[in-house]
Amino acid sequence: MSSTPLMSSTPMVAASGLVKTVTTYEGALTILQDISLEVAKGESLAIVGASGSGKSTLLGILAGLDLPSSGSVSLNGHILTNLDEEGRARVRAENVGFIFQSFQLLPGLTALENVLLPLELHGVDNARTAAADFLGRVGLSQRLHHYPQQLSGGEQQRVAIARAFASNPRVLFADEPTGNLDSTTGARIIELLFELNRELGTTLVLITHEDRLAQRCQRRIELSAGRLLASVENV
Amino acid sequence: MLALRLLWRNWRSGEVKLLAAALLLAVAVVSGIAIFTDRLQHTLVQESNALLGADKVVRGSHPHDPVWNQAAEEAELHHTTATNFASMIYAGEHMHLASVKAVGEGYPLRGQLETSTTPFATEPDQIEIAKGIPAPGEAWADSRLLPLLHLQLGDKVAVGEYELRITRVLIREPDSGNPFSFLGARLLMNAADLPLTQVVQPGSRVQYQWLLAGEPSAIERFSTWLEPHLNPHQQLVDVSGNQRGLGRTLDTGRRFLLLAAVIGVLLAGVALALAARQFANRHVDQVALLKSLGTSSGRIRRLYFAQLFALALVASVLGLLVGEILQRVVAEGLWQAYQIRLGSATLYPYLISLASGMICLLFFALPALWFLPFVPPMKILRRELAVSSLQLWLQVALAFLAVLLLVLLFSQDLGLALSVIGALTGVFAITGLLAFGLLRLSRRLAGGAGSVWRLALANLQRRREQTLVQIVVFATAIMLLLTLTIVRTSLLDDWQGQLPEDAPNHFLVNIPVHEVNTIRQLIDERRYQHQPLYPMVRGRLTHINGVELSETSVAREGVFNREANLTWTDTLADDNKVVAGKWWPQWQSQHGLPGVSVEEEMAEEAGLRPGDRLTFSLGGLSMEAEIASLRTLDWRSMRPNFFFIFAPGSLDEYSPTYITSLHLPAADKAFINELLRAHPTVLVIELDRIIGQIRTIVNQVSDGVQLVLWLTLAGGCLVLLAAVTSSIEARKQEVGLLRALGSPRRLMLGSVWLEFSVLGLLAGIIAVLGAEILLASLQHWVLETPIKPHVLFWFAGPLLSAVLIGGLGMLSCRSVVNTPPAIVLREAA
Repeated sequence: MSSTPLMSSTPMVAASGLVKTVTTYEGALTILQDISLEVAKGESLAIVGASGSGKSTLLGILAGLDLPSSGSVSLNGHILTNLDEEGRARVRAENVGFIFQSFQLLPGLTALENVLLPLELHGVDNARTAAADFLGRVGLSQRLHHYPQQLSGGEQQRVAIARAFASNPRVLFADEPTGNLDSTTGARIIELLFELNRELGTTLVLITHEDRLAQRCQRRIELSAGRLLASVENV
Repeated sequence: MLALRLLWRNWRSGEVKLLAAALLLAVAVVSGIAIFTDRLQHTLVQESNALLGADKVVRGSHPHDPVWNQAAEEAELHHTTATNFASMIYAGEHMHLASVKAVGEGYPLRGQLETSTTPFATEPDQIEIAKGIPAPGEAWADSRLLPLLHLQLGDKVAVGEYELRITRVLIREPDSGNPFSFLGARLLMNAADLPLTQVVQPGSRVQYQWLLAGEPSAIERFSTWLEPHLNPHQQLVDVSGNQRGLGRTLDTGRRFLLLAAVIGVLLAGVALALAARQFANRHVDQVALLKSLGTSSGRIRRLYFAQLFALALVASVLGLLVGEILQRVVAEGLWQAYQIRLGSATLYPYLISLASGMICLLFFALPALWFLPFVPPMKILRRELAVSSLQLWLQVALAFLAVLLLVLLFSQDLGLALSVIGALTGVFAITGLLAFGLLRLSRRLAGGAGSVWRLALANLQRRREQTLVQIVVFATAIMLLLTLTIVRTSLLDDWQGQLPEDAPNHFLVNIPVHEVNTIRQLIDERRYQHQPLYPMVRGRLTHINGVELSETSVAREGVFNREANLTWTDTLADDNKVVAGKWWPQWQSQHGLPGVSVEEEMAEEAGLRPGDRLTFSLGGLSMEAEIASLRTLDWRSMRPNFFFIFAPGSLDEYSPTYITSLHLPAADKAFINELLRAHPTVLVIELDRIIGQIRTIVNQVSDGVQLVLWLTLAGGCLVLLAAVTSSIEARKQEVGLLRALGSPRRLMLGSVWLEFSVLGLLAGIIAVLGAEILLASLQHWVLETPIKPHVLFWFAGPLLSAVLIGGLGMLSCRSVVNTPPAIVLREAA
């Protein structure tokens, strides 16, 4: 299988006619129905919607973690739906960073090692310095050798942000990045996220329940029962 | 390199420690057992070969072909000769029909000659180990020979035409069990003097021995080459042919060690599989994360498998070290207790230890981790996504394959390997069914129970699949341990029972009819334990059902082809058992012939059945008898045993002599002198040395068995630990929640304790049932020891298992119950 890099004016993420159905005990269940969208390079997009509206599924498909039942997705010019899992993994490795609601730090690794992991996987030179550097940028230079258990929720999410940005992704997918944090900490995390997004020119696609966070994005789309309800440009 | 870094981080966070411990133990068990068994086997073979004076002996009425010497040297074997014959020897007016042995340089190739300057010396400081053989012109004499011929050391005796100076007293020689020593007191001389005596003439009754020793493989190769070159008057003998009883003990010991090694590895393997499963489950999230970061499945597979192999390598080397240390400790213990130095081990046990580490890894650990690379990356966003791990049945099948491979590796015996697999399959199936049944029963009983009980049993029911797996694992571990413990105990009892402290250690042979009463009186006066005095006639089997022996299939078999001791008696010795036909007086002859009872194995070899006719030649006279019965007997009993027992009176006319065996305490050795002075025709066969040797061997094997049992127990404990800790993860969250909801600490601990105790009890009941079945089949088919029920274990097994597993469970969960619920919940999340 092959993917054709498209022209530079093409969007960073594009989906057209996405449908996702799964088989359950009660028969086929449609999670996403005919979704088409585009995210330009450097743009920030918020996906909002009620629980069970299909936000996470959509995010997973856009990021190349999962495949749609029909429709096509491209990421930085690579048509993900034409690639096998190994091909998609390559695309993810080169283009994608993630931030999760539950942080997903590895409990056995220190903050530094958690940030180090993707750099080591990508064979980055001076990974250790780079990782320490990014932890410094998120304000954790004093916490390099702490284990996730020894960090507060906000600190854990900062480590996760450092990990996501450290490999210099073109697009960052965030799944409820402030969902597990109190509002003050959440606000700080939002600041940090957008600061880095601006600084590094990263495209940002995030899922959120939080209006405050959705407002900060350039655009937001709303999902309901697997359908795209509205696409709103934030001023 | 990244894999190594990840491994180090995993190690630091404690995630691979159980895995490493299980692997280490597997290798330690195998290496400990394999190296020790290898050394023990070599030592035992050498020690038992010492009873032969060599590794193999060509024995016959003709000397060996001198051409073979060169072939033996080319095969890098040591060789020498021993020529046995009976000859009247003279010292002045005294004479004695001595059993003379003329030996070549290097004799004995195995074992030692012990000599002294004091006749009948028993004190170690009086006994010296000979550095060679008697010099030409010299001879060493049996203690008894000195009083018989009124000799002092330095005196001369005449053997045929040549005079030899007696320079030392021969206290012990390795191959004294040789039938030729029946004839009289030993005189050991140099083979170089043999022609000068002119005793050995054509037609003389002489037994020639060509002794061989060397590396076992070289011996085997040479034997294969030699066998077709032997003439009908020669046979190649090794210790198993020479010492039937001992051979059997060694064989049983070996089988036990093998069995224990397999059980030990199996337990370690199960622990490994459980630990690997636990490791894999903990790493699902990590893999999903790595995949979301763009790591390909192939890379993940390489990363994890590289970690596993690196871990296996380190654990195997350490395990080998532990095994080596353990076996050295036991070997040192042997040295302390019995002054026995074990020989050094070959490379093979080290190799199979490392190989078994790898086999365990490949077949027990890898299948559990197999699914990790297939974890969908979407799992990182949707935790509820199911991950399909390798089917349980496939994992079990692979584990069985591993056991098959391991048994094959250890025993090179496909039949044994298949029967172990068969037994295991049966055990697992029965255990699973029983566990299922008992679990259902416990649910019914839980209905009216108190809250602690309800909570505990509800927990067991809710995690039914996990509970079933745990019961099967616990039950199997306990069953194997029980089996091993009982087999060990009964083996040791059986071996010790064969040679009780008061086992007969001297045979008195050639007692004339008119001296029977006085000798019996003499023994009784001293209150020595003795067997009845059996009449004995030497005779040779010549015809079976009228067909000449030389025409039959067994013509060349040793037991048929030599003179046998024939006896008659009306009472069957208590270690003899009639297995076919009838014992007199119930027996009726079909052909009007006197009856004879034949030893079963011999009968089987020649296809003899009750009613068959046997013709014997007794001192030139022919007599025919009819087989009345077939008998089993215990060759290890050190009592007079007979292939042929006749009906009372049938041999009266063939001038019998009498035979008996008695137990002579070591301090009373001088009694022999007294007896021999009064009854010079009586021959005494001293078996105390052989008995001592056998006892030493039994002790060595027992110690090996003990070590193996401890290692296996460690394996069992590790399995229990692995099974208990694997369920702790799942429990954390629920305990934290219940604690947060206000459940008292006591209720939590109580229910955890009860839950595991019930689990232990159920597993214990199944284990005892299974162990009895397993034991019965093992004892019947593999170890050939009698089957007995073990009532004590029926109660102790389940109880101990409940206490042990309940305790382990509570101990593992204590930290969870004692930690503030908030922390537990946070960790679990």
